[in-house]
Amino acid sequence: MTRILFSDKLDNCVAKWRSAGMTVIGPVQGESLSSYAAVEKAGDLSFGMVLPDRSLKELFFPQTEPMLRYTIKKNEIETADFTPPAAPRIIFGARPCDASGLAIDDPLFGWDYKDEYWFQRRNESVIVTIACTKADDFCMCTSLKQAPDCTKGSDVLLRPLDNNRGWVVEELTDRGREAFTLISEHIKESDETALPTVEVPEKFNLDTCVAWLQNPDNFDSKFWKEISMRCIGCASCTYLCPTCHCFDIQDEGDTYSGIRRKNWDSCSFALFTMHTSGHNPRATQSARWRQRIMHKFNYFPGKFSVNSCSGCGRCSRQCPVDMGITETLQEISKL
Amino acid sequence: MITQEKYRTTVKELLANGTIKMAIGYRPGSTPDRRRPLFIRTSEEADQLVLDSTCITNLSGYLVTEGLLSDEKQVGIFLRPEGIRSINILAAEYQLNVDQIVIFGFDSTGREVRPLQGRNAGDFSALLTEIKENPPLTSKEPLLERVEKMNAKERFDFWQEEFSRCIKCYACRQACPMCYCRRCIVDSNQPQWINTSSHTLGNFEWNVVRAFHLSGRCVQCGNCDRACPVNIPLRLINQRMAKEVVDGFDHFAGLSPTQEPVLASFKKDDTETFIL
Ligand code: SF4
Ligand code: SF4
Ligand code: SF4
Ligand code: SF4
Repeated sequence: MTRILFSDKLDNCVAKWRSAGMTVIGPVQGESLSSYAAVEKAGDLSFGMVLPDRSLKELFFPQTEPMLRYTIKKNEIETADFTPPAAPRIIFGARPCDASGLAIDDPLFGWDYKDEYWFQRRNESVIVTIACTKADDFCMCTSLKQAPDCTKGSDVLLRPLDNNRGWVVEELTDRGREAFTLISEHIKESDETALPTVEVPEKFNLDTCVAWLQNPDNFDSKFWKEISMRCIGCASCTYLCPTCHCFDIQDEGDTYSGIRRKNWDSCSFALFTMHTSGHNPRATQSARWRQRIMHKFNYFPGKFSVNSCSGCGRCSRQCPVDMGITETLQEISKL
Repeated sequence: MITQEKYRTTVKELLANGTIKMAIGYRPGSTPDRRRPLFIRTSEEADQLVLDSTCITNLSGYLVTEGLLSDEKQVGIFLRPEGIRSINILAAEYQLNVDQIVIFGFDSTGREVRPLQGRNAGDFSALLTEIKENPPLTSKEPLLERVEKMNAKERFDFWQEEFSRCIKCYACRQACPMCYCRRCIVDSNQPQWINTSSHTLGNFEWNVVRAFHLSGRCVQCGNCDRACPVNIPLRLINQRMAKEVVDGFDHFAGLSPTQEPVLASFKKDDTETFIL
């Protein structure tokens, strides 16, 4: 027996969650872009896309976020903190690679300093993930040893039935069970089975790549220059990535008052490592591209025992010059 | 196919006899409709060259890569007419020596690709004048017409909505051959001219500054528009600014390597009291 949530009941569920004070968020197809956005009714959600153009990370780590307001007076400096508003929410229809992206970043944001902005939102969010039954040329979760039904970072996993009729429900955490208790009247016992998940072919052998990256001799390999010659150094790959987490802290205002903000930043930018003296330890784009790969597949796993990539493929899908993690790792595995 | 084969041969010859040290072109990408920039230094690399109607990226920005032209050797590059205009602007703005650039010109109608006659930037002036007189119909786009019909308030709201998606990834700037400044105004923080945050004001400031800086310089290659990961129709802004500059100053950007840059020139008898 399986437990099923039929799609025609989803609108009732959305209403139920909303009346319990939760914001309901899910994949939404905008006029020219898809993203995870808040909805009022089930009909505004869109489950047909492979994955939204924008990743889930921005709901936890927004592109710009106020941290404190400061006022400099004659003898004192006044500050007031901005804390993220308490806002319970349910994300219905996350993709497994987006949900696992959150789990990948948890140790980073909680390591030496607990990032309250991140964790407050993490603790207030229920992640309901839908397993993938279709993929495109850029999806590569399996190459990262993940899967189209990976449960990492999710509170509930749903597996689609045929003809968009609904989903088989698997609650994974207490938080997920609690949210689904609210809608238990809409969940039916049945002997239907879910559609199989999509087959995502493996694009490279991760272990081979990691071994090559860990070999210190390869740090200065001419490979880096060749592979990244066409990189134009934008932050498209970083900013769409569900796991990239670098930020910059900026004061906006004048000499006497202003707001300190936390803004996304990218290792692709020349300015990222520029010293005040003018010296730049990563002076070339190839050094910056090497950093991106090394960080994701060597340094990050060295510290947190997990790769900083969930295999969503957005970096390759969106690159203006058709580069990306996939091509680089494919080439490394051939070296 | 024939054009592609001919150009492969030409590139190999010019590399072999030492005329050029490199040619910048296209090769297959990760899906059948994608092309990747290719840097050809050897005969084997020349065999990877593809030239078809899907080769649309304007590659001229690679020419101002630090150090590429400093040895005074020649570099070949595959360019559509817009790309040739970019080369002319870069030359007029003293960013490159046009004698170092060997142009492999091409254009396409439908799926058909044809070569353009000429090798040096100066060889294409008749073609570019013809484009100035008869702009391609692609500039007649429905969205542009829709925006033109709006009143000021509606137009402001339209752009506010579009810019609200901007994430300040600067892909538009990095993809643009005219955005070659070693230090962009948004990267300058002493003083901080422009908010770096990508909130409504910061996004507006960024996109408006870029629009102004590109007016009279944009060749409408579409690189920025295609690069924008959040699909802001940047082409509309630049098309409109280009039209203003043509109407106001009869300045069609990139007509020749010696054309006076419209934003950097003034006349003593100018009736205006202010210069940009
Ligand atoms: S790999 Fe592509 S998306 Fe990433 S910085 Fe380079 S050009 Fe931009
Ligand atoms: S590195 Fe690329 S494939 Fe990996 S999670 Fe980031 S955007 Fe997705
Ligand atoms: S502004 Fe856009 S369309 Fe104009 S030259 Fe630059 S990249 Fe091309
Ligand atoms: S490419 Fe698009 S999102 Fe990126 S900075 Fe330019 S307008 Fe903004």
